[in-house]
Formats: sequence, structure tokens, C-alpha cells
Amino acid sequence: MKPDVYNRIMAAQANRRAMLKGAAGLGALAALNGAGLGAFTRPASAAAAGLDTELRKKILQIPGVGKGSPTDADYRKVGELCLGGTKQTVKEGELKGVELTFMGLNNQNTHDFLFRGFLHPWEEYTGAKINWIDLAQADYNARLQQAISTGTIDWDMLEMGAPFEGDVCGRGLTSEMPDWVKNLIDMDDYVNYLKAPVGTWDGKLYRVSIDGDTHNFNYRTDYFSDADLAKAWKDAGNKSEWGVPKTWQEVQAVTKFLKGKQVKGQDAYGYLDAPKPWGGFGFYFLGSRASAYAKYPGEKAWLFDVDTMKPRVNNPAWVRAIQDVIDALPSEPPNQINADPNETGFAEFLGGTGSMVVWWGDVGAAAKTSDSSVVGDVCGFSILPGSDDVYNSKTGKWEKLSSGPNYAPNLAYLGWGIYVMKKVDSDEKKKKAAWSAAAHLGGKDLALWTSAYPSGFQCYRNSQHHIDEWVAAGYDKDYITSYLDSQFNSYNHPNGAIEPRIPGIFQYYSTAEDILANIFAGKLKAQEGADQIAAAWEKLTDQLGRESQIKLYKAALGM
Amino acid sequence: METRLSTGAALEIPPAEPGISIRHVIGRVLIYGALLLWTFICLFPIYWTVTTSFKSAVDVTQGHIIPFVDFMPNWKGWGSLGLSPDTIFEISTPRTEFLSRFANSVITSVGASLLAIVLGSLAAYGLSRFKYRFGFMRNDDILFFFISQLILPPVVLALPFLVLYKDLALLDTRIGLILLYTLTVLPIVVWIMRDQFNSIPIELDEAALVDGLSVWGAFIRIILPIALPGIVAAFILSLVLTWNEYFFAALLTGSDAKTLPVMVASQTGSQGINWWSMAALSAAAIAPLVLVGILLERYIVKGLSTGAVK
Amino acid sequence: MNQPVAAGQTEIVIADPIAPGRRLFGHVLLAAATLLLVGTALLQVLDVAGIAPVGFLNWRPLLYAYLVWAVALGAWQVITRGYIGQRALFVLPAALFTLAVAIFPTLFGFYIASLDWNLSSAEGPHFNGFHNFVSMFHDAYYWNALLNMGFYLLAVIVEYAIAFGLALLLNAEIRARKFFRVSFLLPFMLSPVAVSWMIGKSLMEYRFGPAARLARDLGWHTPAFFAQPWTARIAIEAMDAWVSIPFIMILLLAGLQAMPKEVTEAAKVDGANGWQAFWRVTFPMMLPVSVTAVLIRVIFKLKLADIVINVTSGGPGGATDTVSSFIYRVYRDRSNVGYGTALAMFYLVLIIVFLTVLLRVTRHWTRSVND
Repeated sequence: MKPDVYNRIMAAQANRRAMLKGAAGLGALAALNGAGLGAFTRPASAAAAGLDTELRKKILQIPGVGKGSPTDADYRKVGELCLGGTKQTVKEGELKGVELTFMGLNNQNTHDFLFRGFLHPWEEYTGAKINWIDLAQADYNARLQQAISTGTIDWDMLEMGAPFEGDVCGRGLTSEMPDWVKNLIDMDDYVNYLKAPVGTWDGKLYRVSIDGDTHNFNYRTDYFSDADLAKAWKDAGNKSEWGVPKTWQEVQAVTKFLKGKQVKGQDAYGYLDAPKPWGGFGFYFLGSRASAYAKYPGEKAWLFDVDTMKPRVNNPAWVRAIQDVIDALPSEPPNQINADPNETGFAEFLGGTGSMVVWWGDVGAAAKTSDSSVVGDVCGFSILPGSDDVYNSKTGKWEKLSSGPNYAPNLAYLGWGIYVMKKVDSDEKKKKAAWSAAAHLGGKDLALWTSAYPSGFQCYRNSQHHIDEWVAAGYDKDYITSYLDSQFNSYNHPNGAIEPRIPGIFQYYSTAEDILANIFAGKLKAQEGADQIAAAWEKLTDQLGRESQIKLYKAALGM
Repeated sequence: METRLSTGAALEIPPAEPGISIRHVIGRVLIYGALLLWTFICLFPIYWTVTTSFKSAVDVTQGHIIPFVDFMPNWKGWGSLGLSPDTIFEISTPRTEFLSRFANSVITSVGASLLAIVLGSLAAYGLSRFKYRFGFMRNDDILFFFISQLILPPVVLALPFLVLYKDLALLDTRIGLILLYTLTVLPIVVWIMRDQFNSIPIELDEAALVDGLSVWGAFIRIILPIALPGIVAAFILSLVLTWNEYFFAALLTGSDAKTLPVMVASQTGSQGINWWSMAALSAAAIAPLVLVGILLERYIVKGLSTGAVK
Repeated sequence: MNQPVAAGQTEIVIADPIAPGRRLFGHVLLAAATLLLVGTALLQVLDVAGIAPVGFLNWRPLLYAYLVWAVALGAWQVITRGYIGQRALFVLPAALFTLAVAIFPTLFGFYIASLDWNLSSAEGPHFNGFHNFVSMFHDAYYWNALLNMGFYLLAVIVEYAIAFGLALLLNAEIRARKFFRVSFLLPFMLSPVAVSWMIGKSLMEYRFGPAARLARDLGWHTPAFFAQPWTARIAIEAMDAWVSIPFIMILLLAGLQAMPKEVTEAAKVDGANGWQAFWRVTFPMMLPVSVTAVLIRVIFKLKLADIVINVTSGGPGGATDTVSSFIYRVYRDRSNVGYGTALAMFYLVLIIVFLTVLLRVTRHWTRSVND
């Protein structure tokens, strides 16, 4: 959801020795990224890819990596410099008199506040004016759904995550993207998983992406290069070498092994689960444990059967993931049962508790830049762990793949995008204004800046993978390489687990969270609870309309 | 503990009325001990909030408590709102946002509290002085009718109010919020004010009527001034409740009538918590209430105890 | 509309003859206003139905017509009934206001409660009678939440006891009374969102929170306040109590100060010690105000949600869930508004029954103690 890989890099560079501490882990990371994937090609250089390197270099200097947080003035400067696309398509003052309302988040004073800055020069140039509706993240879903159902849509432009597309685009509430916008934002540059069908419904394109999202695996390199732990690991009778787990089976073993151990005088912990409900978002974290078990290569679906919407959440793969959490929790910190993802990622992992956590890119980005992080120099990244065997739901059997462990990165949430509502279509001038603003926010060069500075947004374009640009801007090469690779190798993974963008998907997640909370509290057995989730989901599918859900599920998977 | 023991021991020495003295002193010590303990319980979390707004992240995660000793205060939290000395003259979207929300919060909460006081005091006086019968409803039933408006969990009123306000074109208007907030605090005002008027002797009304005042004249010229402190008390309670209202504010407002609590909630999201800015916002949000509390506190107590006038 | 009952001891009655012409004028006035209201309503309905397109932008005209009618109703009361009408004028504004703002949402709420309506549903809402209520009886999560409410309600007694103690302290002869009063009142002013985060998630944080460190110093080595059902419940209750005790306290303090000094002194003269005097004199005299304070507190307690949602999300395993926080999840996170509203309506009925019984019992009790 956001990277703010920028601060303190200068300090880190001065302190090369500290960086080297993580070298062992980074080596392991490189090996892991190779495993099961095949190497992905990274574009050789930004200049060779035909990018406006001068401009990109210039905006990356605002305010400069390591020079503190960007201010509103910086947002405006960047917005001004990236106005090229707008100037190509809109004449100065052409949109005078147009007023648009934009609904988005105030996520810790980013998102909407950032857009205000970027769009300020756009407003001055075009003459249009934008009013803002800022929501807290917790209110977003309810506000959106309730406005739609009561006919009180009071916005023209919308910042929205792809999972809501079923509710909004699936109902024909959004405006189709004009061709001139498609040309402006260069959609071929999007990472694989954000290309169609994401952003489209019935072949029509609606979304300007501004963000990419995937779960990656963050670990502590100092743990996995610790000689004492390595010895203890051998003494405990383990045949494998002590190192970064590459499969969930190894994650489990390491987590149980670490219970009661000490690292640098502190209690050692392994993996950190997030059992506390988080408005539906907590379910993604079970999904990340399950995807390697449940996502069979070559088959797109992993959460429901495509033809019937029969939930798979109570199949052996998912139940195994649930059981893994139950088995791991006693080895995790004492307050873990009340930990939501915010807690595991930011309070625990970055605070130095625990050695492995799954999160969106935010944790890895903040590891080095956040003041509250104590793990900046000992943090490594990779795609999600795999599994030795994978469940084939067609045959009902566990299979060992000849290629080795099965990897299936959980492409959770699919990132934020900008959508224009259909109600502006009746007014050509307004429509042009809305799409021009959306294209401005979804511009290629702006994207580089938002991923390099604290913004709440992460990489979503292959053109953001030019390491040379990042290094020139002041980033440490090893660090940024391992971090970006963990992101891009997930985005472009051939066996990525894609989110079903069906209507009400967060209702499924939220219902599951309630039941999972009871499972993790010991009130229900894994299978018993999973069956309850499946039953609740079946009921929900019937309530939402099974036929239409099947249709939309297929559409969402591009089938 | 120590002080209690030592003072207790010391007080055994004076021979004159030792029993009373010791008991008295122990009583004093107990009273002040309890008072100080509870003061600590009340103030420490608020102290924690205020100091957190001057902390950087590492001071928060290491639980530093005392400024200048445990940690060096900085303006980070206030800077993120554009309210620190170095940012106050720069453009700042959060500050613009904060100020417009602050203004809306003041207007809606004061407006709603005033309206509730007017409507509620009138109703309370009527219910205290006269016997009504609306159909099957007697005074107690009418009172219960008002109270019952307080019961329903607000969350289920989301859709009805959206529909109602859309049709009345009251969405995203301050007057819409004021009307709704008035409804939510009216029951409390009615209840408190009825107790108030009940404690004012009816002989005062009778005397006023004998002097030739009308019912309304007696109410406005004689009873209202006596009950004024009580009105202030009810006003403050209403103010606090409406000032902090979050749910409907998030639902019914957009860009014009937005209020402060939503911005406080926005400080947590997908990237942990901005402790410092949440603390700064919370502190800024509580400040006007504290001020009102300090200025008008005596009215709350005096107000609710008008019975003493007897 | 309303007739004052034959004057009781506290009733004042003044003869106020009304001339027939004046009465007629009043009736005409009301009739005209009623006609305006009904006419506007009719026009608006026809407009919406498309039968007689008047071109209303919204329903505001009806709102204005209602305002006019309300004023006319008041005038009618005074004109036709004189003094008695003037009395009605005290309660009418609040009653008419409440009706206007609350009646539509409440009725619409009952209607929604009878629908199978999930906002994400492809087919939209459809009527399903009492099916929501049938589902409710099989919903273990709802009943679990109701059960938890039992605990939270019982805790009001503890809050009341503490608040009473504090009120007595503040009522004693003490120095710096104003400082203590303001300090004790402050927690009430913090918003629930701020309380959840600054206290629940910061002050009581397992690793760095001062409360957790204090608990460690006191010998609890794993002070995870929200990991075990009972500690979690108590921790949530403690936070809610922290915010709410000032409210009860200030009402009780007012009651104490209103109490005539002679009464307690008389008790002391009778040889009662402080403890006896409290139970024999102070407590009974404080009963009426106690009832008010506790009832308002109970109503607020029944709506407890914010702190639970933010701090534990009802966990661990539903141990801290409240009815309101559960409905919140159903209604908002899952957009299942029909079912969520049904849950709330059932809760409403339950509360009304509970409150009615409580009121009866306390009234009876208050009387029997004070007589």
C-alpha cells in the first residue's frame, strides 16, 4: 500500500558496516527469488526504456532522499513538473467553471492530501476546481455501499481499490475510459497482474491505476545468520541448514523452534500471525498462508469453484493453513491473539519483535525509513514462502510438483485506482476534466515519485523497476534491489493468486474473520470452523445472487 | 503510605483530644490520598496524550514518559498538522482541513446544544409543572418517549437518515447535522432539566402568577434565572457529546459540513498509526472542551444543585 | 390534544374564559395550516409519482409546510384554550421536533428490518417478513454479544459505586476543590476514538505501554490486557468506566450539594456514625438522582461500541463483543442492512422492556425507601 523508502538512506550509506550485517540474508534472498520462478528480466536502464530521464531525475530530487518528509509545497512542485500530459490534451483555462467532487481517503494525511497538492497546479492550469471528501479507512466500504444503495453518490471521481470494482463498475456506475486517456497513461507499462481483466468489466476499461499491492515476506537477516541459533537448530536434530525459510513448512518449524530462545538478550519469536479481525483485511493474512497450498499452478481460482461458487475455504489446503496458525500461536508473543496486521507489521516486526512477517510493501519500505523501526539494517525481503506440496482441488489430492515447492504470491487488494463516475458523462466538459485529473494522477513519472517518497502508494509500473534511477536518487543498491525484486517478482509471478473482484468480497472476508477469531481463541476446531465459514459464504452467495456472482467471478478472473 | 504512617505517629504525641485528632488526620490523609490517586488516574492518560503529541516515533515505541528527561520534545505531531512554529506560515493542507473541520465542529455542537437546551428546557418545565395527557400518554410516558429516542444503536439509522436527508436536501449541511445532534442530546437535557425544575419550589411560580405574570412570564422572568446554572450544566454535557460525535459525521457529511472526529480517526490506516499526529489532534480537539470545563465547571455543580435554593 | 388533569397539589389553575369568535379563528387557522400541509404532501407525492409534475427539487417544501403547521398548532392551542393552551406550548416544540426528525427513520427502520437486503446484492432488497428474526435466534454471535452485555451492565453498579465515592470526596471539606473537580471531569471530554487509540492501543500496549510496564513491576510478567477473555472484558470495561464515571459523579455531586445540611447533622446528633448516617440518610435521599444517573448511564452502556471496535474488534473469540459492535460489523462491514436493522429492532424492544421494568422497580423501591 505504500513505500516510503527514502529517509535515512544517507545515514545508512555512511554506515556500510551496518549494511553488511544483512548481507548473508540478502544472499539468501537472491537464492529464494530464483527458486521456483525462473529469473525475471529487469529493464536494463531507464534511458534505454525511452523515459524522460531528466524529468524523472529532477522530481526525485524534490525534496531529496534523506531530506525529511515532503511538504505540500513539494507535492505542488512535483505536480507542476508532471503536467506535461495535461498540457498536451487540455488548453490552458479550457475547463474553467467546472467543479468536481473527489472522494478518497485521508490515510494518515496522505492519499487525498497528496492529490490536493498534485492537482493544485492542474487546477490552476485548466481552471477547473475540485472539492474533496476525505474518509477514514474504516468508513470507506460502508460509505461507498450506502451511498450507492440510497442514490446519494455525491462524488464525480473516486479513489477505490480493485476489490470494490464488482460493487461499482459491475453495476455500471463508472465512466468508460476515453482513448486519449489510455494513450496518456501508457497502460502497457503496468505490471502484469494489473493489466486487464483488472480495471475492466465486460471488456470496458474503467480504472487508472495509481498503486500496486501484493503481500511479500519480510524477515530478519540477523536471526538467520546467527551462529548460536544455527547450532541449536542442529542440536535439535534438524537435518536442514539454519536459514531463511523458503516454505511454510519451514516457517512453522522455525517458529516452533524459536520459542523460548533468546536473540541478543531478547525473547526470540518466529512468524507473526494477525488473528484479530481488521475490517475484512485480516483475511488476506490467512490467504497468504494458504495461497501456496491452495493455488494450483495453471488454475486461476483458489477461493471458490468457478462454476458453482462453492467455497474452497474448508478444503484441506485452507484447513491446513488455519491449523498452521493454531499450531504457531502458542509459539508467538503472549498478546498475539489481539494483534491485527497493523500490530504485527508496525508495532511488532519493526519494533524488533519476531523474525518473520507477511505484509504489503509498507513494512519493508518503513523498515529503513521509519523512526520507530529498529530492524532497518537486518531486514530482508522475498516473495511469499512456498509449499512442498500443493492441493489439487480437481483430484482432491496433495501433489508434489516436479519443479520443486509451489509458490503463489498473494496479490492482495490489487492497489488503489482512480475511477470516474458515469454521472459526468452527460457533461462533456466535466467528463474531460475528470478524466484529465485522473490521468494526471496516474501519470508515469508521478508514479515514480509516489513510490520513492512516503505517499501510501507503491510501485505498479515496470518502469519503476530501473534500479539505476533509485540509486541515482540516493538509495542503497542492495537494499532497494532486494526490496523491489520482492515486489516485482510477486506482481509478475506466473502463479500469482489473484483476488476475486466480485461484489461484496469484503463481506466474505469479514464473516470469515469473525469465525476465525473463534477458531484462534480455541472455541472451534480448524475443520469445524472452516465448515462454518463455508456455510456462511454459501448463504451469502445465495443472498447476493449465485448466478450473478458466478458470472462476475468468471469475469473477474478473465475467463 | 509513608506519610500516612509518619503523620499518624506524630499525631499521637499531642495529648489534647488525641482520639479525635488522630482520627481526623487519618481521615484527611485518606481523603487526600484517594483524591490524589483518582486525579492521577484521570490525568495520566491525558498527560500521555499531550506529551505523545511532542514525541517522535521512537519515544512512543519505547514508552518514554517524562519530557526533557526521557525524551526531547519536538514539534513533529503539530508539524504534521501545520500547527508547529516552523510550519505555521507555510501552505499546509492538513491545517486548512483541520481549521475548517474545527469551525464546523464548533458550529454544529454549539448550535445543536443551544437548540436542545431551548426545546429541552421548555419541555422539562412543562413536564415538571403540569399534568399532560396526549392520548394515552401521561407525563411519565412523554418523558419515556423522549428517552426512547436515545436507545437505538445509531448505526442502523444510517440508511434511513441518508434517504431522509437526501430527500430534504440536508446532506452535507451543517443545519442537517445540528438537527440530528439536537435529537440525540434532547433526551438528556429533558431529563436533567426536569430534575432541575422539580427542585425549584412551586411556590415561586405561584407567587409570580399572583403578581400578575402569565405562565410564560413566570417561567422566563422568575424560574429561568434560577435554573440558569443548571442550563449551563446541561449545555456542557450536550456540547461534549455532540463535539465527539463520529458516526453520523462520517456518514452525512462530504466536503462542506465535515467535522473533527473523522480526522482523528484518519490518523490510523494502512501504515500503523501516526501516534504523534493523532495525539496532537486529540489534544487540539479536547482543548476547547477543557477550557469550557474550567470556565463553567462551577455552574455544573451549582446548576445541578439548585435544590439548595430551597 | 391535551387536558390538564384536575389540579393536584402542584397544579396551578387559572380561570381564562375564551370568546367564541376567538375560538373559531383558532380553528380556522389550524384548518388552513393542516390543509396546506396535506396539500403540499399530496402535491409532492403526485410529483414523485409523475402524475402531476410540479417540478419540486426535493422534499423541502413539505418540511416548510410542517414548520408552518407546527406554529399554527401552537397558536391554535393558545387561541382556543387560553391558559391551558399556553401550558401545552411548553412540551409541543420538543415533541413536534422529535416526531419530525425521528418518525421517518424509525418507521423506515422497521421496514428495513423486514427486508432481505444486502447492499451488494444483485437483485436489491426483497421482503422476507420475520425471517431475519428467525435467523437471529440461530445466530450464536448475537447471543454471545447479548450475554456480554450482561457483564457490562453489571459493571455499571461498580461505576456507580466509584462515582458515588468520588462525589462524596468532592463534597467533603477539602482544599483545591475546583482543581479536583475539573480533573475528575476531564476524562469525560475525550472522544471515544481518542480513548481507544491513546489508551487502549498506546497506554496499555503490551511492550511499551506504561500500564503494561506498571503491571510488570507489580509482578504480572505477561501483561497482555486483551489476550484472555476475562482480562480483556475487564480492560475494556475499565476504559469505558474511565470515560463515563465523571458523568455519573457530577450528577451525584450535584445531588449531594442540594441536600440540606441539617439532615445529615440531625443524623449525627442521633448518634449515628458516618457509615450509618450514609446508609440511613444520605443514600436514601440520593436515590432519585441516582436513578436518573444510572439510567442514563445504562442507556449509554447499552450502546457501547467504539472502544470495542477499535481495541479488540470483539475479541478474543467474541469475549468483548457488544451488541452494538456486532451490529456495526453486520451493517457496515458486511452491508447486510436488513438483518442488521432487525437485530437492532429486537434489541430496541428488549431495552424498552428492560427499562420499563427497571423504572417501575426503582420507582417502587425509591418510594418504599423514602417513605
